[in-house]
Amino acid sequence: MNQHRTDDSADSAIVGLLTECQLPLRLYIRALLPGDPAAGDVIQQANAKIWEKRGDFEPGTHFKAWAMAIARFEVLNHRKRQARDARLHFSSELEETVAAELAEVNDDLAERQAALRECMQSLKPASRELLMRRYASQQPLAEFASQVGRSVGGVKVTLHRLRTALAECIERRLVATGETE
Amino acid sequence: MTPDEQSTLFDALLDGDISEADFLRLEAELSVDAEVRKAYYRRLEMDLLLEEVAAEEAHRLPPVSEPLTQRTLSRGLWWAGLLTAIAAGLILVVAMPADPADQNDRSELAQTIQKNEPSATGFAVLSGQSDAVWEGEPIDNGGLLPQGELHLVSGLVHVELFSGVQMVIRGDAVFSIDSPMQVSMRKGSARAHVPEPAHGFRLKTGAGEVVDLGTEFTVDVDESRSSVKVVDGEVELRTREAEVRRLRDGEGVELAADGSLAKESADDIALIGPAAFQDALAERQSDHFRRWQLATELLRNDPRLMAHYLVDPDQGWSRKLINRASAAGRVNGTAIAGDGAVVAATRTQDRWGRDGGALDFSRMGSRVRVVVPGEHRGLTLMCWVKINSLDRWYNSLFLTDGHEDREPHWQLMNDGRLFFSVKPPEIDQLPPSERERQVFHSPPFWETSMSGQWIMLATVYDVDQKLVTHYVNGEPISRESIPEALLVESIKIGSASICNWSEPMYRSDATFVVRNLNGCVDEFALFSGAVSHEEITSLYHVGNPNER
Repeated sequence: MNQHRTDDSADSAIVGLLTECQLPLRLYIRALLPGDPAAGDVIQQANAKIWEKRGDFEPGTHFKAWAMAIARFEVLNHRKRQARDARLHFSSELEETVAAELAEVNDDLAERQAALRECMQSLKPASRELLMRRYASQQPLAEFASQVGRSVGGVKVTLHRLRTALAECIERRLVATGETE
Repeated sequence: MTPDEQSTLFDALLDGDISEADFLRLEAELSVDAEVRKAYYRRLEMDLLLEEVAAEEAHRLPPVSEPLTQRTLSRGLWWAGLLTAIAAGLILVVAMPADPADQNDRSELAQTIQKNEPSATGFAVLSGQSDAVWEGEPIDNGGLLPQGELHLVSGLVHVELFSGVQMVIRGDAVFSIDSPMQVSMRKGSARAHVPEPAHGFRLKTGAGEVVDLGTEFTVDVDESRSSVKVVDGEVELRTREAEVRRLRDGEGVELAADGSLAKESADDIALIGPAAFQDALAERQSDHFRRWQLATELLRNDPRLMAHYLVDPDQGWSRKLINRASAAGRVNGTAIAGDGAVVAATRTQDRWGRDGGALDFSRMGSRVRVVVPGEHRGLTLMCWVKINSLDRWYNSLFLTDGHEDREPHWQLMNDGRLFFSVKPPEIDQLPPSERERQVFHSPPFWETSMSGQWIMLATVYDVDQKLVTHYVNGEPISRESIPEALLVESIKIGSASICNWSEPMYRSDATFVVRNLNGCVDEFALFSGAVSHEEITSLYHVGNPNER
């Protein structure tokens, strides 16, 4: 719902574009804020900002690039706010490279997600459960480890092995179905 | 850096668990090597995809009340739960075969239906549709299919007959559902899945009839011929020439319009089964679900939004219902409503099919207690509700405690009308005929056949236009002007209940009238001021899981 009313059909077009853009947008913000628990908030602020500025978007131009430019700005804002407890972050040169590359990357996210689901079927139920719990929780790793009753090191190694196995499986599947670029 | 070393560092980075030395090392690699960056994006992408999958699946996991390593006990309990579920399923299966036999005793059955008992007409429910265009009125998902000949001009629909037969029908199709055990088809393609309790189900075409002896078959019918092909199991084919033959797995025949055999085989009829159809619909719905989530996120900052309650399926057992409205953007600094407190209501499936995403208020005493501060020039109430039945005089949606001056009451009458009122001050001094005019009733909209379907209700009290409008599924069903003498320009709410009413005496008197809603709610919103017709309609479309 909008406060200053613009054309309804234009709004619903933006909602469509924005919905499609959610995964790339999240990917982008998370790539610039790796491991930062506040990334979720920044994603939300970026969405709100994009919505607020929707009148500036020129239909027919590259929506993703436009949205990402706004998101980049939100990331920088977030940095400024938390400057004092200064987390590690990439050099601005590297950030620009990442920004440029991710705006151009061709998403085959849907294929990747399908492949991931297939690959998860081949995991042992206990492994699958551990992964699902980890990804459903927002907790820091140490807290998560104690909740599932294991050592941090142990959980780290197990998750690493599972992710690597899944990543390999996904690539294999994509090659097999000819979906890889 | 070896690939394994590299991915270990990525994991540490993404888990927020990396040392400064490692960070600098990784940053250097990322800066110079495009391949390393690509690997980084891939790893992160998988993280996001895993989060998506986890968000969908996590609430199905058993709760971790104790560490996983000590899970022998809880695994035992989990199995016990599964066994109970299987047992419940078995009871159903055992009970069902009795049904077809009952149909023979129609006269006896008829006697058991009381005169005033609510009734509905039909033999089948429309369980899903994809791009369906019907001749005449559209039919809602979950609605009963009308009797008589139906014309599906185009698209695909899933029909569930009360016998248990599941059919996917593709337009252009002309058919009628004659009984739970018989469908006549003049034109179109259909695939029927027939479970054991419905063996003997017949599908009639101009050229003959197919009697199912078990599981699944397809038919394709037009003016000049009909073909039948068995997908799985066995059917008996009776042509108009009274010839009877049996067809098994993969066998098919084509009949001419006069019922004579035209061909000893039939081409495959490319039509998906009911299960695949529902999977495809679910996928489509999940797209729609994401849109709704996004719209909900954007709604948070609407400065008129005082309260927006959604039931979070991942919260497990929680009695707190978080207000998702955000006070951050308020210019005038007005406070918004607090979180709701859930009383007695139990968790159930929401309109998107997520377990634990809705509250069921049918248990006695159920309600959500809320406090809404401030004074409001106009009011908009909206909720998504699934009503089992309107079996009380007053079926509560949102009521302030007691009914003091300038307070709103929103409920459903047992005859299916929406009720809304804001009590004008000094109403007691007016003659009774005037007093009644403080209540704005919609015409009756509820029919028993709507039971169990998710619908969106909304009511707007517009002070500037002096109008009360009631909406069902985004459409206004009544609009009535507010008499000048009864207009309340500043509404107050304070303590109130969702789906129940707390009498003024409830703090000291244990006796109470039963007014809790016999139904479920998965979304409730309260806006200060009037929300426009277009906005209500767009709330409905974005929130309607069956949007086509």
